[in-house]
Order: sequence, then C-alpha cells, then structure tokens
Amino acid sequence: MIRQPISPTTKVILGLASVLCLIAGYAWLSHRLRVVNPKNTAMPNLTQFVEGWDRITRAPRNSEAIGLEAFRESWLWEDLCATYGRLILGLATGVLLSLVIGIAMGCLTPVEAFFVPPLSFFAKIPPTAMLAVYFVAFGTDIQLFVALIALGIFPTLTQSIYQAAKKDVTSHAIDKAYTLGASHAEVIWNVILRQILPRIIENVRLQVGPAMVFLIAAEWLLTDVGFGYRLRLQSRLLNMNVVYIYLVILGMTGFVFDWLLSVTRRKLSPWFGE
Amino acid sequence: MTDNPPLALDVQNVFHWFGANKVLNDIQLQIPHGHIVAVVGPSGCGKSTLLRAILGTHPPRQGQIVTGGKRITKPTRDVGIVYQHYSLYDFLTSRENVAFGLMLDQTSLPQRFLAPWSWWPLRRQHLEQADAFLEKVGLAAAAARYPHEMSGGMRQRVAIAQALIMEPKILLLDEPFGALDEATREELQIMLLRLYEENREAEQRGDQPPFTILIVTHELNEAIYVSNRVVGLSQYHHGGEQGATIVYDKPAPVFSPDDPRDFGPFHAQKEELRTAVFDPENLQHHSDYLQLLKPTA
Repeated sequence: MIRQPISPTTKVILGLASVLCLIAGYAWLSHRLRVVNPKNTAMPNLTQFVEGWDRITRAPRNSEAIGLEAFRESWLWEDLCATYGRLILGLATGVLLSLVIGIAMGCLTPVEAFFVPPLSFFAKIPPTAMLAVYFVAFGTDIQLFVALIALGIFPTLTQSIYQAAKKDVTSHAIDKAYTLGASHAEVIWNVILRQILPRIIENVRLQVGPAMVFLIAAEWLLTDVGFGYRLRLQSRLLNMNVVYIYLVILGMTGFVFDWLLSVTRRKLSPWFGE
Repeated sequence: MTDNPPLALDVQNVFHWFGANKVLNDIQLQIPHGHIVAVVGPSGCGKSTLLRAILGTHPPRQGQIVTGGKRITKPTRDVGIVYQHYSLYDFLTSRENVAFGLMLDQTSLPQRFLAPWSWWPLRRQHLEQADAFLEKVGLAAAAARYPHEMSGGMRQRVAIAQALIMEPKILLLDEPFGALDEATREELQIMLLRLYEENREAEQRGDQPPFTILIVTHELNEAIYVSNRVVGLSQYHHGGEQGATIVYDKPAPVFSPDDPRDFGPFHAQKEELRTAVFDPENLQHHSDYLQLLKPTA
C-alpha cells in the first residue's frame, strides 16, 4: 500500500539488507573479474583493499617516522588536512558573507534592490566555470579554494537566507517586537535571526554537497595534495583499491558533517521539530 | 499634544486615506485609564486601519493620536498588541515569550553580550515575573511549552500576558478570540472581566487602574459583554463617502466574572447597534448615538 507505515525493526532490517546486497554484489563482480584476469585492479578484493589502506596510511619510504608520526606524514592525513581545511574555511567564509548580506537584504529594501540583480545573474554561472577568474585573482594558494567555495555557495545561500528573512518573519512579529521595546538591532538579532536560524542551518547542510563538488574539481586540476588530486592520480594508475577507500572516506565524512549540522540545528532550535 | 493625564488614549480628529479611497473620517476617541472599550463595525469599515494608526505602524494622514502625553508615530512599548494570529514567537517557550518584552525593554544587546553578569540576575527576575503573569492567566503549568505545543486559547492567554507584563498605556486586541471555539472564547472573555474587576479594585483604593484595553471584535455579544463601553465605527452615515467615522459610542453593562453569562439583557443594545452601525439604509447623523465622545476626565 502507498505510504503504509512499517515497524522500526523492519526498517532496520531493510536498511541492513540493502548494504549487504551492495557488498555481496560487489564481491561477486570482483570475483568474476579476477577469474577472467587475476591481475585485475578495477574491482579490488579484500586483500587489495588492505594493501591500499596500508599504502595511504604509511609514511613515505624515505621517512623514518613511526606510529602516529608516520601517520601524520601519510597521504591520508595530508589529504584530509588539506581538503577539509579548505572546505571548512571556504564554507565558513561563504556562510558568514551570505548571512550578513542575506539578512540585510531581507530587512532593508535598498540593500535588497542593490543585490538582487547581480545575485540572480551569478547564481546562473557554474562556480567551476569561474575557476579561471579565481585563478587569475587569487593564484593557486588556499585563497583560491576559499574563494571558489565561498563565492560558489554565496548566491544560492544568500538568496535562501534573504527569502527566509523576508517571508518567514511576519510584519506582525516585527511590529510586536517594537511594542515590546525592541531596538532595530534587537529585532534583527532576537527576532529575525532566531526565527530563521533552523532554515539557515538546513540551507548550509544543502550547500555542503555543492561546496565539495567545487573543491574536488579544483583539487583535481590545480593541486598536489588533497582528495581531488589523489583521486585523479590514483585513478589514472588504476589503483582502485586507493580510489574506493577515498570515496568511502568522503562519504563517511560527508555523513558526519551532515549529522553534526543536524544536531546543531536540533540543539539551537528545539522548537523547529524534525 | 495633550496634557490630559487621565486619558490613556486620545485620538484627535484623525483622517486616513489610501489614494482616492477615503477610509477614516474625523475620528475622535478619548479613552480614560481603566476602560475596556469594544470597537465594532461592518467589514471593511476601517477598524484595522484605526488599530494600525493607534499602534503606530500606519500613522494617520491628518490629526494625531496621543498616549501618555506623547504623539504616536511608530510602534512603541506604550501601546501593546495582541493579534488574532501570529501572536507568539515560535522559538520561545511560554515563559520566555512573556519575559521577552522585559528583556528587550530593560536591557540592550551590547549589555547582554558585553556584561552578561549584569544581565543574568535580571533574567532570573524577569522569568519569575513571567511565571507570576502566567499564573494570573491560568497557565502556570504550561510555562515550558512552545507555542506549537499549545492550543489556540492557551496561545492567546500567553500573548495577553506577554503584552500586559509591559504595563502598556493601552492594550489593543485585534479580534483576539476570532479563531477560538466557543468554550475557550468564554474563558478568555471572563479573563478580561477579571482584569476589569482589578481596575475597579484599584480605583477603590485610589490607584490608577492598571489595564486599559481597546478590543476590536465582530461579535456584538462579546463586545457588550467584555467592555464597559461600545464604540461603533461605520461608513453608513451622512457624509459616509468621506470615510468611516464613529457613529455609536455608549456605555455597556458591566459584568462581574462570577455573574451568570446571560446575553438576554443585551438585546435592546444589540438592536440599537445593528441599526446605528451595520444598517446601510439607516443613514443618520452620527452624533445621534454618541454619549461618550467628549467624556469629562
């Protein structure tokens, strides 16, 4: 039946079954490919994955570091630091910029009139197509990635914050705040921002995916460290045991990021519900 | 400007229009402290425009509105408002909603950020005051609930407490019980009668009555039952093409909250209101029905 509810146990069992199907399907395909060609690396088996994990977590051959020090010199650690450092800095800059301008647009009609035309225009240009512009303006250092992510998410995020500030807060709510003695700053901080905070967090959640796409694309083309660079290099060498591990790590960190934002939203705005 | 302190609200020769559409025509309304005044009128007669003018969101094009000796040109803490909908802040619990005005009025954003140690004791005090007000409106048990966890009647009680805690010069109620069921409506009407009773007790002690309320309603029984004075605003009068004016202004019988709720005795006044305010065929000179237009303070 359409939309008929199922029990929580059935839900968990079906979820686990899908994961098991995926693993079983992969194992069977991997086995078939190795029967045809024992040296096949396109669909690595468990032993090859262990080799791949060892390759990305050990220090370079010429290093004498051991233990945690060795891990800190490994590909994985260097790539994690580079990629997520760029991502967090880019997202933070983009969110801050969007928050200030989005709320100003939702509250002040001259700011709205000033920003709406350029925002609507830039929202239509794919941020990765602007890479050449950022390359000329910011070089290839971290500024390039911060600008790419921040300016990439800026038009969409600003528009959604501006729409929320304008439409989710009724004029009654604002007038009432003034009758309760609020200043203009308090109306913005204590009424508008509090009311739209869960929507802002939800929109930031939605922008993490696109931000990751812009970043991986830029790292693919322009860097010598980071997930994008490693994926390009290792896929060209057909080291799929490294590529798949990197993809799983990307998926897992994305999931953790999403979960953290979701927890933050529930903590800061318990009234908003699910 | 007026310097007539017994008046909580003084609407002086107010005219309002939108382009060629004349809405309010020479409105004069004086409300002394402690009155509960009901405003009734046909749909589209300008009740909301008058309310917005008093609130300060849409000041009159001509004439002036004065409260506490100050002319109203924008919304201020001297005029409270409770709307039919959107009355509470979704992100605050009942007690936080009630304490919200105290925080906004008595502290500033820089103080709360830069000197939080001076703000925390005040916060405790505000929440205690809010609890006392919630108890007054019979909602002590719902202090920790968010608006979406409460019924419409509970939300309106909290909204009234939120406005009253500010001790405004006048509280405006814009069809506050319009969306409620009959039983809840009755409870809230009795709550207003209790406020009026407190006014009378204060007067007997020689104090200034604390609650002055202007309630806009489309329910004639409600208007007569909760108020001590009914004002009719209508465009049906000689010269009505110039906009609506006050065509009815008479005292209403005063009830005690414990009196039986019997609308029978209202019949004659209701008929008079229907004729004077709601009947487009009865174009009378509006001064025929005015008794309290220029009250002596």
